[in-house]
Amino acid sequence: MSDLDSPHPAETLDGVSTVEVRTSASAALIPTIRAVASDLAARADFDLDAISDLRMAVDEACATLVDVAAPRSALRCTFHVRVDGIEVRVEVEVDEPAATVSTDTFGWRVLQTLADEVDVLAAPTADGGRPTVGIRLDKLAGDPPR
Amino acid sequence: MFDTIPSATGDDAAAQAIVTALTRPQSGTALLTVAGEIDTVTAPHLEVALDTLVGATDGTLVADLTGITFLASSGLAVLIQAAHRADRSGRRLRLVVSGRQVRRPLEITGTDQLFDMYTDRASAGLACDD
Amino acid sequence: MTRGDTEYGHLVPLLERYAALAEDDPARERLRDELVTGYLPVAQHIARRFAHRGEPLDDLVQVATVGLINAVDRFSPDRGTDFFSFAVPTISGEVRRHFRDLGWSMRVPRRLKDLHVSINGAVSHLAQEIGRAPRPTEIAQHLGIPVSDVLEGLEASEVYRSSSLDEMLSSDAGSATVGELVGEADAELDRVDVMQALRPVMSELPERERTIVLLRFFGNRTQTQIAEEVGISQMHVSRLLSQTLDRLRSRLDPETRVG
Repeated sequence: MSDLDSPHPAETLDGVSTVEVRTSASAALIPTIRAVASDLAARADFDLDAISDLRMAVDEACATLVDVAAPRSALRCTFHVRVDGIEVRVEVEVDEPAATVSTDTFGWRVLQTLADEVDVLAAPTADGGRPTVGIRLDKLAGDPPR
Repeated sequence: MFDTIPSATGDDAAAQAIVTALTRPQSGTALLTVAGEIDTVTAPHLEVALDTLVGATDGTLVADLTGITFLASSGLAVLIQAAHRADRSGRRLRLVVSGRQVRRPLEITGTDQLFDMYTDRASAGLACDD
Repeated sequence: MTRGDTEYGHLVPLLERYAALAEDDPARERLRDELVTGYLPVAQHIARRFAHRGEPLDDLVQVATVGLINAVDRFSPDRGTDFFSFAVPTISGEVRRHFRDLGWSMRVPRRLKDLHVSINGAVSHLAQEIGRAPRPTEIAQHLGIPVSDVLEGLEASEVYRSSSLDEMLSSDAGSATVGELVGEADAELDRVDVMQALRPVMSELPERERTIVLLRFFGNRTQTQIAEEVGISQMHVSRLLSQTLDRLRSRLDPETRVG
């Protein structure tokens, strides 16, 4: 990682850069995804608390979705890195078109506390394939640098 | 004097990601030391370890979380349950927490209010004879 | 430790007097100096036991003295224990913490260790100054190093931080006596080094072997005691332990093999 000197990779791509991670929808792979989250946040110069928060929020979103994902399906996590924050979309395929994530859980409250914005995404049929359920969250980089 | 806590789930991934040890460093005190990442995979293992801790003594309960490098809401939930269990016998669980990785999730969710928080073992009453 | 009783016997009444003084008593400071000076050989002795680990002895004596001061301050004679059984674990704990802060794992390159230490210092300084957690660029500016180094240091502190095994070990010290600690000093130091590297190997072990290793190293049990508890012969315990240690040795880089 020492080959990258710019703290703002986002600035190199018209203000936004995108990183997508695709894994099988398994809890065992979430550590990899949250490592990507914390690496991107550190490179985007988030303050250290905001880095911790994003890592935890991404973990929470992934864990929630892995719970409702169809067996042997995929999880897709997309990071849109801006100068002032990161938007994360996590999506999984589900069996039931009506499947969703419950928002009256402890985990969801934690997620709301950690992220600046958080919503449930539902696409009854995505690209003509299986229905998907997702979570979108937005985390700001923290108070501006002095 | 010493118990090992078998892997609750028999899950290899969980066994790999965290290490727990329960000791009695002095009479009347049980100490659980935890190292690793606490998430949905490893939280059940931590739950068993904390249950064993709370049941281990009528005295002081200390959980040293210094070695935890990640704490998800599933881990917080397990800690909250342990706090309630300790509370039923009129005790407060002492947590030793030094790094941001653990302090941040506890504080941002207000969970730290349920515990007596310490930054090192000595201030949590260890290395002192009772 | 009977030798201790005669050599340090005259300090015991001073300890009692010191503990009885009010926090703001002007006599406190002088009495504390006297006690710290009197017990200094104990701190020096403990520091010397850690000296072959690559840190200057002077630094270690200083750290051990901090531990001694803490022990003098926190000791209460009315608890009915003697000062040594309280002070020795307190001082050793302080020295261990020093090693932990300094090099939380022997596998981490020196440069990253230094980086980690300076970043930690910068983070707490800046957090106080700005009133929030600092950003990597702010840390870099404060330390006058490239942001890429800060990112590397932050990453390393997450990946390599395995200090808690050291801490698990120091819990044993809480119940050890002076004689035991001095007598077993070398074996104990070896254990500290071994344990720092043991975790990845532990995770590969079957449940029973893991239990045996835990009992031996964390629980400080003898092979015979383990054999009784696990329900196998002492020979078998011995064989499993040596297999595990072989496995461990083969995992260590030659340069990190501490003699």
